[in-house]
Amino acid sequence: MNIAVRDLLDSDKRQRSSHPVMSRRTDRLSDEQLMTNLGGVEVEAALSELYDRYSRTIFGVGLNILGDRSLAEELVQEVYLKVWRSSHTFDRSRGSFSTWLYRVTRSVALDLYRKRAHRVRPVSDGDSHIAIIRDSSAEPQEVVDESWLSWRVSRALEMLDAPHREVIDLAYFGGLTQREISERTGVPLGTVKTRTASAYKRLRKELSVQDTSRAAIR
Amino acid sequence: MKCAEVYPNLSAFALGGLEPAETAEVRHHLASCSSCRKELRELEEVNHALEAAPSPSADPPVYLRDEILARVRAEQLSPSKKEESEESSSLEEHSRSSRTSRFNRFKGLRTILPSVAAAALVAIIALGVFFGFLREEAPVATIQLVPTPQEAGGLKGYWGVAEIRPQHSGNQQVELKLNNFEEPKPNSYYELWFVSGDRRISAGSFTSVGKGETRVLLNVPPEASNYHTLLITEKHIDKDPAASNEEVALEGEMP
Repeated sequence: MNIAVRDLLDSDKRQRSSHPVMSRRTDRLSDEQLMTNLGGVEVEAALSELYDRYSRTIFGVGLNILGDRSLAEELVQEVYLKVWRSSHTFDRSRGSFSTWLYRVTRSVALDLYRKRAHRVRPVSDGDSHIAIIRDSSAEPQEVVDESWLSWRVSRALEMLDAPHREVIDLAYFGGLTQREISERTGVPLGTVKTRTASAYKRLRKELSVQDTSRAAIR
Repeated sequence: MKCAEVYPNLSAFALGGLEPAETAEVRHHLASCSSCRKELRELEEVNHALEAAPSPSADPPVYLRDEILARVRAEQLSPSKKEESEESSSLEEHSRSSRTSRFNRFKGLRTILPSVAAAALVAIIALGVFFGFLREEAPVATIQLVPTPQEAGGLKGYWGVAEIRPQHSGNQQVELKLNNFEEPKPNSYYELWFVSGDRRISAGSFTSVGKGETRVLLNVPPEASNYHTLLITEKHIDKDPAASNEEVALEGEMP
């Protein structure tokens, strides 16, 4: 995968930065508690925290589905507005917030996919690695359904802390060897190997824990 | 080599990230250890799953959060929008309701716009507060866009609105909502301009879906607040982007 290692490192820093609106208290609330807060006076803090937790996943999955940054941005906006407007329809007894949010995302993405222009838009060289041009013969529903795995993997990656996420980004997406990662980050080789093994173990666990049944997303 | 020595290297092996000598050692061990082979297969399943992962460098732009929060504030100031959405009992129903309510808004306009468009061909209705006052808080300016005289000759039944929202960055977000705005001609695209005399600022290019509603989000710098005319032009991608090579499809003006 042709991704600049510098971009990966920068991306990780961006990912870990949080918004000043977010309070420490909000940081500790569960997704479900934040959804409850969307109906109260702390709506902005709650929405901002949910943005921190899920916007990268929504944007990334949106790029995979729509192949267009501006549409993926529109997707993120519309999804969060819908989350706010429809927070009362979320029923935690019917599944996790993540699964519910995926359904919201899929619904909005499907609308945007159908509206998308048929022709392929030119993208700058810098964006070419993320502008995935979909086969125009694919049915919208089929394309969007493929995104469930993408969503689950993204969520699993988001569960990793920064050091473990870094080794996965550099090893898998950056294509660096363990020694190269050690040299680039200044982390001892043994630690890099331990983190890689630990990250894979965590990913395996997260991917198996998440509800993989298709019924969950219907 | 024992399993306990190989195990920490298996993930790196699955990733192809070991040095050649280490790789050979692991391979040698795997040839005679079914337990580690099973472990490796499971790790390779993680590799396979990672193929579906979004690009790690795909971050949403930093301004997006502020834009979302600004829209929430704006809707809180006009709660009817949220109330309309809350009438639906499910997510899918909500989605339909949202689209329907927007359509109804256009439908309401449809009753008054044709006569205005036919007579004057350019109708200007501005709601909310103009740019200069749109700094931090969220009054929204809405500019009606209607066909220009040459386009309205056939009265194609399309029009749009441009909603202006201030951003913390100082930029102005322009949300176009276009109704029945036909797709551009082959190899052509639309572009939104803020115009003042012979000067103009582009807010960006876009396309349209034709029948139904097309929504587009664009941005202009703060300087655009002094450009009071909005134009949507159509251009061919192979032609010089000069104004002489474009057709004006929709037009609107702020007071």
